[in-house]
Amino acid sequence: MILIHCPYCDEKRPEIEFVNAGQAHISRPLDPSSQTDEEWEAYLFIRANPRGRHHERWRHTYGCGRFFNAVRDTVSDKFETTYKAGEPRR
Amino acid sequence: MSDVLIRNEPVAETPYVAAGVTISLALPMQRLALRARRAEDLETVLKVTLPRKIGASEGGIACLGPDEWYLRAQAGATIPTASGLPVAITDISDRSICLVLEGPRAAEILMSGCPLDLNKFAVGQVARTIYETVEIIIIREAEDRFHVELWRSFAAWFWIAMTTAARH
Repeated sequence: MILIHCPYCDEKRPEIEFVNAGQAHISRPLDPSSQTDEEWEAYLFIRANPRGRHHERWRHTYGCGRFFNAVRDTVSDKFETTYKAGEPRR
Repeated sequence: MSDVLIRNEPVAETPYVAAGVTISLALPMQRLALRARRAEDLETVLKVTLPRKIGASEGGIACLGPDEWYLRAQAGATIPTASGLPVAITDISDRSICLVLEGPRAAEILMSGCPLDLNKFAVGQVARTIYETVEIIIIREAEDRFHVELWRSFAAWFWIAMTTAARH
């Protein structure tokens, strides 16, 4: 069982309490109507799929219920760090 | 009005007694979901001190998240309502029911499907977590007594899971 550190609970909790919520640090364009179709497509659908270090959003669904960001290695499934939503990319 | 309604509980009303553990239904109680960005606002409304650390409890109020608290009080207790402050106080008394696990095997039986290490769970500590696929709130009331709050609709299944674990 993987233990994930929740930055809000400040505690390592079992992986089963968490849900992955996709790539982190994707912000919605401030003015969507100014976007070209390609830009809008990139925002909606195009995601990174790295081998190695990956920034992801996770949610402590069965716990404090908060979204936070994590850096996870997609090869080893090891969590490098987790930090609160809104904090700068690490 | 609700005093004269007959309650139909989804689990047995007589306690289940097995070696080392007794599983029973707690008395009906009042439950409130408290939400506020600033804990001070809730404190002003309720005139109590809220625990700030997630997992801590104080005077029947448990801190579940950075902006979320769970209040349990005796049925019929009067709780002040909000007064123009940005808080949300929602009565969820009948959403959940509470099962009481008491006895030296209580922690072991809960851990049959809950991933937390309850041997390291302090008395008075609270955690929202998961049992198999069911969201539960565990409250350690005493060394060998746990309160488990869960949604009423999951209770029949949870009762079977608990009594089955207790039989083994």
